[in-house]
Formats: sequence, C-alpha cells, structure tokens
Amino acid sequence: MAKEKKEKRKISRRESFNIYMQNTNKKKLAKKIIIYVLLYLVLFDLAFVFLYPFLTMILDAFKSDADLLNSTVKWIPTELTFVNFKLAFKELHYLSYLKNSLIIVFVATLGHAIVCSFIGYGFARYNFRGKGVLFAGVILSMLVPTQVLIFPLYQMYAATGVLNTYAPLLIPCFFGFGLRGAFFVFQFRQFFMGLPAEMEEAAHIDGCGPFRTYLQIMLPMSKSSILVCSVLSVVWHWNDSFEPSIYLNSAPQLQLLTARIPEMYQKLAQFSEEAVEGVNAAELVINQGTVMAATFLAILPLLIIYMFVQKQFMEGVERSGLTGM
Amino acid sequence: MSKSKKKGMSMRQRRTLEGLMFISPWIVGALLFFVYPIIVSIRLSMSELTSMNGMEMSWVGLKNFKDLVSNDTVYITNFLESIKNTVINTPITLVFSLLIAIMINRDIKGRGAFRTIFFIPVLLGTGYVMDILVNNGASNVVSGGADSALITMIMKSVGSTFGTYVQTFLSTITTVLWKSGVQIILFLAGLQSIPGSLYEASRCDGATEWENFWKITLPIVSPIILLNFIYTMIDSFTDASNPIIADIEHQFQNKGALDVGAAMGWMYFLFTFIVCGIVLAVMNKLTFNIGER
Repeated sequence: MAKEKKEKRKISRRESFNIYMQNTNKKKLAKKIIIYVLLYLVLFDLAFVFLYPFLTMILDAFKSDADLLNSTVKWIPTELTFVNFKLAFKELHYLSYLKNSLIIVFVATLGHAIVCSFIGYGFARYNFRGKGVLFAGVILSMLVPTQVLIFPLYQMYAATGVLNTYAPLLIPCFFGFGLRGAFFVFQFRQFFMGLPAEMEEAAHIDGCGPFRTYLQIMLPMSKSSILVCSVLSVVWHWNDSFEPSIYLNSAPQLQLLTARIPEMYQKLAQFSEEAVEGVNAAELVINQGTVMAATFLAILPLLIIYMFVQKQFMEGVERSGLTGM
Repeated sequence: MSKSKKKGMSMRQRRTLEGLMFISPWIVGALLFFVYPIIVSIRLSMSELTSMNGMEMSWVGLKNFKDLVSNDTVYITNFLESIKNTVINTPITLVFSLLIAIMINRDIKGRGAFRTIFFIPVLLGTGYVMDILVNNGASNVVSGGADSALITMIMKSVGSTFGTYVQTFLSTITTVLWKSGVQIILFLAGLQSIPGSLYEASRCDGATEWENFWKITLPIVSPIILLNFIYTMIDSFTDASNPIIADIEHQFQNKGALDVGAAMGWMYFLFTFIVCGIVLAVMNKLTFNIGER
C-alpha cells in the first residue's frame, strides 16, 4: 500500500515538473520575443539617428529646385535629377582637388603604416632604461592639442620655407607624429605585445638580426593591424581641416577636397542673400541640393574604399589588439 | 636566449641599442615636432610679444595667466563651457556606444548592415562634412525641432529648468552619437574577445542576462571603458567646435596675440591633463584586468 502511494506521488511530481517546464519554456519564449522586438526597435531607432544626416544629404542631392522649395516633398523626390551633381562637380573642380586629397592621404597613410608599426614594435618588444619615459611621451603627445603647438610649428615651417607645400602635413607622419600619429604607435604597440614571443626567439637563435626579424616575421603577421591603421589614417586625413587650413593658407589651389565644401556653403548663403535683395540669379545658382551633392561627392571616395575593406577592417579591429589592454 | 657577446657588448646593452634603433624615428620626431614647439610655446606663454617679425619677446612670468584668470571674463566663460560640454558628452557617448556595441554583438539578423551604419559617422565624423551635415538638421532629428510638443509638455509638467535640460540633451545627442563611431568599434572588439564559454557556464548556473551583463560583460570590458573614457575626453576637450579651442585659434589667426593664445592653451591643457590623470587613477582601481586573476 505504502509503496503504491509513493509511486503515485512520484508520477505526479514528474508531471508537475513537466508542466512547470512547459510553462517556463513558454514564458521564456515570450520573454525572448519581447526582448528581440525591443532590441530591433532600439536598433532601428538608433540606426535612423545615425543615417538621418546621411540620407537627407543624398536625397537633397537628387532633388530638383522645385522639390527643394516644396516642403511637402521630404523623403521621395518627384523626379531624380543629376543637375546638382553636374553643377557640384564643376564648382568643386572635382578632379584637381581630388588629386590633392589623394596625394596627401596616400603619402601620409603610407608614413603612418610603415613608421608607426616600426616604432610600436620597438616599444612592445624591447625593455631598456628610459623606455617608460619615452612611452609616457607618446601618450602625452596624444593629449596635447595641436592648437597649442601650432604657432611654433608654423614658425619652424616658415623658417625652413616649406609653408604652402604638403611637407608640414606629410613629414611628421614619417616620424610617428602627424595627425594622431601617437594613436597609431599605441595601437601597434598593443598589437605586438599580444603576439607570442616564440617566433622571434626562434628567429634569433637561427641568427636572424632584429631588423630582419621585424621585416620578415613580425610585419607579415600584422596585416590586420596595418589595415586598421591605414583605414583610420585615410579617413582622418581626408576629413582633416585644421592643419591644412593653417599650413596651406596662401595656397588655396593645394587645399583638400573637403575644404571646398564650406566655401560652397558660403557661396550659397551669399546667393540666398542676393535673392532676398531681389537680384535674379536663377541660372547657374547653386542651391541646397548642389551643396549636398558636393558633400556627397567629397566623401564618395571614402565610401568606395570602405565598401571594399569593411569586412577585413572589422576583423582587423577585433585582432588589432587595441582592446587587449 | 643565447648569451652571446658580440662586439664586446653585453646582451643588455645590445637589446637597448636595438630597441633604440626601432624607437629612433619617434625620438627624432618628438624633438622636432613636440619638444621644440612645447618649449617655444611655454616661453611664449610667459612672455609679452613685442615684435611679430623677429619673435622678440620680453619675459613677464605668469602675468598672462593672471590676466586670464582675473580680467578675461570671456575666457573663463569659454573655459567653463568647454568643461560642461565634455562633462555632458563623455558619459552619453560611453553609455550609448557600449549599448549599441552590445546590441550589434548579439546574434541578430542584419548585423553586418547595422555595423556598417554605425560606422558611417567615423567616415564622415570630423571636419567640414560633419559640420555641414549636423547643421543641416541632424541636431534636431530626435527632438523634432526647438519647440516640439514633447518639450512643451515636459516644460509644463515638470518645470522649465528640467525641460530645457531635456531639450539640450535631445539636441546634442545626435551630435554626440555621431562622434561615437570609434568607441562603438572598440567596444565591439572588446566584446568579441569575451569567450562564449563564460556565458554558457553562468547560464548553466542559472544566471539571467541581466546578471551576466554586470558580472561578466562589464568587468571584462572595463579596460576598454577606460580606454574609451580617455579617448572620448581628449576628443571632446580638443574638439575644434569647443569654444575655448575656437578662441585660441582666433587669438592666433586674427589678433596675432600669440602670447595670450599660448597662455590660454597651456592653462586649458594643464586642466585637461589633471582631469585625465584623475580619471586614470580612479578608473585603474575600478577596472578589472583579466590577466591578473
């Protein structure tokens, strides 16, 4: 008798357990769905905030004059025109300034990628007295804003007669300075510190010199880090505004492509003032759409580059050691 | 390691020499592009410029600094404004970029697309292009303009002080988000480095996602929080749109008051340096280093 009772209780306990599990599974599923719905809502919201300026730029660039003035046309232009792009292309003197930008970006990035990895390797692998002080110097050079040092530098470049050439922008890049050069030194140091030392030890035992070890063993291993450095250096130089505006002050024909944008914007403001004053400048007048088309054209090369390297770039960031502090 | 003695040098001496060889470009660069301008700039800040051409100056000690503190009301206002910007922007940037990174680190559909979207600001996020785009309505995409219904409602119900705060928050948030591309990427990279087995183990022990976040995710990414904290702060302090940086530039370019400009710059830098030092010291104690377990 007692045994039977025990059996029954056991079954009922198992059943209740099953029911309990089913319920919790249902609850869990419901919870999961709610979480995912919320997640996507938040993500789409944030993505919208991120994309909004970009989208308005592209849309405005494709709008005709009538659509730009019509406030009911916000998202979908009634017709797609390429007039804005044609005008912007001409106003920007696109090809010649594109050439300027490409030269600066290419040389500066080359300098950063080669030299910063070299320096970073030294900081990562060699221990000697005074290294700590030197590395503190690297960090310090990240902290001091360029604006504080710009005048002595300007004087120096003026004295050596390289003002209004690309030299002030490019030469520091080959010494681990330049636009956020210290950041790249830091990045490479972190990366090399994360690599195992066995390879170098083996190379050393086989009689490989330090420079050759770096060039033939470590450098090929740091491809991903070099890619990250290059992408960031390209982007930052492309959008750089402060230093070019100082050093290329009296050589506007050497300016970067992006520096043309505020000029066009000023022109736009001027035109709209004239329009208010009643001057009829209907033909060849740049409008909001033209400026937006110009902006789009100015960053188009970046978008194209990024499209090609996006995947490797993300993988590179994950392996670049930037976060392996 | 072999203890070979080449050319009569000890192993240690040779390592030092080799190390210096690798670092030598930086040392040359530092002397030319960093140490020298710093010395000139400091000297300038403690002198009075008598002639622009020959850079003739007379030593006046700390006079420029005293003048700034006691007489220049614009400078003090700008100084406080710049600090306020940084104090507001840094936490928002950190919280949002961590949040976004955690969300796009999950196994969701369209992860690649979201990553691309959140990286767009990095591509455009500095200089003129950014300025133009943000001026063109990006700053009020969230709040829906200066006097939206939401803001008026908040103003009426909670009070105008809080209402204006919400308004500034909403209008700055787009700009701030647009400057957090690099931070998102760094956080994402940090999150990727967390081994999935940790989460599995804790789930088996019955931990919820909320607990996982506080006990696993946050401690492991804490060094990256520190890195991002410093990065964001420096970025915000040295941002060209900061009134004080604009003021310094103005002193240089239009007024030719190089001595005053240098003093302004150094005082500001000293302050940012101290703040960064404090943050580093405090955060270093709070961060959890996975190698030290």
